Amino acid sequence: MVEAVRGDGGDIIRLDAIVKRFGGAQALSGASLVVRRGTVHGLVGQNGAGKSTLIKLLAGLHEADEGRIEINGKVYDRLTPHLVEDLGIHFIHQDRLLVPTFTVGEALFLGREPRIAGTPFLDRALMRRRSAEILDRYFGLRLPHSALIADLSAAEKQIVQITRALLNNPNVLVFDEPTAALVRREADLLFQLIRRLRDDGVTIIYISHYLGEIAALCDTVTVLRNGRDVATLPLKETSAAEIGALMVNREIGDLYPKPQVVAGEALLAVDDLSLSNRYANVSFTLHKGEVLGLTGLLGSGAKETLRTLFGLETATAGSVAVKGETIFTASPAKATAKSLALVPEDRRRDGVALDLSVTENTTLASLDRFSKGVLDLGAERRATEELVKRLQVKTDGIDALVKTLSGGNQQKVAIAKWLSRQSEIYLLDEPTVGVDIAAKVEIYTLIGELAQRGAGVIVLSSDIEELLGVTDRILVFFRGQVTREFISSQTSPDQILSEVTGAYETLSNVG
Amino acid sequence: MLVDAPYYIPGSLAEPAPSNPQDPQASGPAYGQRVAALALRGGSLAVFIGVLVFFSVTAPFFLTIGNVGNVLGQSAIAGVLAIGLTIVVIGGGSNVVTGGIDLSLAANMGLSAAVYATLVQAGYGDPVAVIAALGTGLAIGAVNAAAITLAGIVPLLATLAVMNVVAGLELVLTNNTVVPASTELLLALSASGPFGIPVLAYVLLGFTLLVAAVVQFTPLGLRLYAVGEFPEAARAAGLPVKSFVAGSFLASGLCGGFAGILSVSFLSGSTTGAGDMLLPVVVTALLGSVFSRRLVPTITGTLLSTLFVGFLINGFQLLNISSTLVSGVQGLLILLVVSATTLLRRQENV
Repeated sequence: MVEAVRGDGGDIIRLDAIVKRFGGAQALSGASLVVRRGTVHGLVGQNGAGKSTLIKLLAGLHEADEGRIEINGKVYDRLTPHLVEDLGIHFIHQDRLLVPTFTVGEALFLGREPRIAGTPFLDRALMRRRSAEILDRYFGLRLPHSALIADLSAAEKQIVQITRALLNNPNVLVFDEPTAALVRREADLLFQLIRRLRDDGVTIIYISHYLGEIAALCDTVTVLRNGRDVATLPLKETSAAEIGALMVNREIGDLYPKPQVVAGEALLAVDDLSLSNRYANVSFTLHKGEVLGLTGLLGSGAKETLRTLFGLETATAGSVAVKGETIFTASPAKATAKSLALVPEDRRRDGVALDLSVTENTTLASLDRFSKGVLDLGAERRATEELVKRLQVKTDGIDALVKTLSGGNQQKVAIAKWLSRQSEIYLLDEPTVGVDIAAKVEIYTLIGELAQRGAGVIVLSSDIEELLGVTDRILVFFRGQVTREFISSQTSPDQILSEVTGAYETLSNVG
Repeated sequence: MLVDAPYYIPGSLAEPAPSNPQDPQASGPAYGQRVAALALRGGSLAVFIGVLVFFSVTAPFFLTIGNVGNVLGQSAIAGVLAIGLTIVVIGGGSNVVTGGIDLSLAANMGLSAAVYATLVQAGYGDPVAVIAALGTGLAIGAVNAAAITLAGIVPLLATLAVMNVVAGLELVLTNNTVVPASTELLLALSASGPFGIPVLAYVLLGFTLLVAAVVQFTPLGLRLYAVGEFPEAARAAGLPVKSFVAGSFLASGLCGGFAGILSVSFLSGSTTGAGDMLLPVVVTALLGSVFSRRLVPTITGTLLSTLFVGFLINGFQLLNISSTLVSGVQGLLILLVVSATTLLRRQENV
């Protein structure tokens, strides 16, 4: 019965052929999203597909360059955060925007605090009572009066955040990756709540990387790819696997110039590595000349594992051995001494020193080589010139400041830093984030060269096609464990995506 | 039941994640952190009480009403300034480097006092002088607010620069001399009130009560905390973050002007060397947060720490210990409090 009625109330949101450019880059190129009243509408897409741009547009945080926005049958030229709120559209952001030192009541009512009648003073008793009442009614959640936000678990904070939105009697609730920080049981509670809200007539837009969740929860799903909606499907007629296939572009061209390298002896052996709450029992071996891919969602443990290898986190169990020699209590200094090199994701913050020159950056990790008490500037320059030429770094000369280089070339300098040190094991964390396609190809070429020269390379990336293109093997992390290993040349992107998003169980139904 | 039936939850979702150890973020902040926070709070209260007990045992005069009143009176100026600074710290966040701080407060007090005394010397009455002194404070606050919210300079640097400008203006105005002043208002402020306790003591208590009522008990105050602690959350709640920050600097500027008037009364004129007040005021405001349950700066906490610092100085005097030691003790306190809260915060962020 409910089934038949649901979604017959017409369209509540129509975003039509939206185009949005940031500088030269086109984030959205004609994306549409039509949400029917009273339904749970899923929105999926790979990183960079345009999901967050589209949602920020709906939130009134971005203005569309082209396209048509219609809400409740009325056309709007532009949305502002205030207008959107007045229309009853509320957002549950991925990061929980709650003041840690506030009580639950204060956090819930911030911005519309009740006052003691006839005075300018806060009615703390009422805030306490009302918040206890509301949390109990919606979630069966009972928290001590004095509990501060900082004392709550991730799920409880999430609940407080949702309750804040519910206090506004929303027509539309937009959830942005709501389960990223939740464990299974908490996520199930959230799903129950979402269904209850839907039955109460609230329209839900649900954004998630977890295709299994989308399949379980949504009535309809819109798939974004490259800034465009490629499909809007009723969930009854589709599967998680099909959605996954739509998300990835199957045609992979000659983007990935991967040379064939025969793997040599073992360089790095990771045995049963665990870090208390982050990941458990991770084991793998990296060989000379091999490129190994790691991937997983945020919080899956992939990134933490990489950081542990470089000594930025300390494992609670297990061991890491470099060329057969176990490293105890790793630190970045020790890792560097064992010829490990890390190229961090946030290169502008961690990878390069923006205000230093190309030469200074390149030799930063290997100053011992160039110093005999004082720096041998000539040797420094010769080494840098050679590397700049080898990596084809586009720069006005080796004295140019690194901040004047493009993103891709900055990344090359970050890699050159370790080449100069003659490292043997390279840990690359999202090496191509924010660089243009041409620079990407050059970085891929470089990864291939490193392998050819006998180095071992570990690439952590959430770009699955990229991983398949540059690696020999891929380890997929899901909720703190390596759930599967793939041979890159025998794997398709949607296989990996299913594994990454936890949709693999439903895959077997489809065959 | 029927409603839920079509929504089949795949096995992978329904099962708890296999041996994903102990739900990463489900357990809230670490037990150790709570113990540390408790120790910091309890420890500082214990130190406070310990100091009181020590002085009252070694200097019998210490815990008499007269002496307590004296301490309150002598702390009034520092207390008003510290309360102004507390407002800024609440609205700007308690990170000493990037958060809210107003280094110009002591200089502000000096200039406001000089303006007051100079006007009185020039023959103006109390009303004009009061308005001019408060106006001076407010103007300094406005310059700070503009530099921070419009030009986007971090408060530490903006107010440091303003401090120097203001101190220079004071020198220009007074030629680096003492400007004596005596009016009815000043005499009334420096007199003794009920129970032989200085009027300034009552002023401090009354002022604390007033500001505490606004900051701790109104929506405005709650929002100020939100703006300082977590600007993004405040913005998401529709609060004008910059206006709040600007407002906090205006309020602290006004406190500087008010403290200026009190200091003219206390010292029977405007004197040089207002800058020496800066360290005690910063200590007081930073120390204040250890007296609150949530380890955040509060107005009442600042009053407590004002008294703590006041008793410390007073006790040293009673025991004939060199007052130069006080400065060292204050520096030590800053170091302790800031490092303790920084350590706690770092754990929070992990």
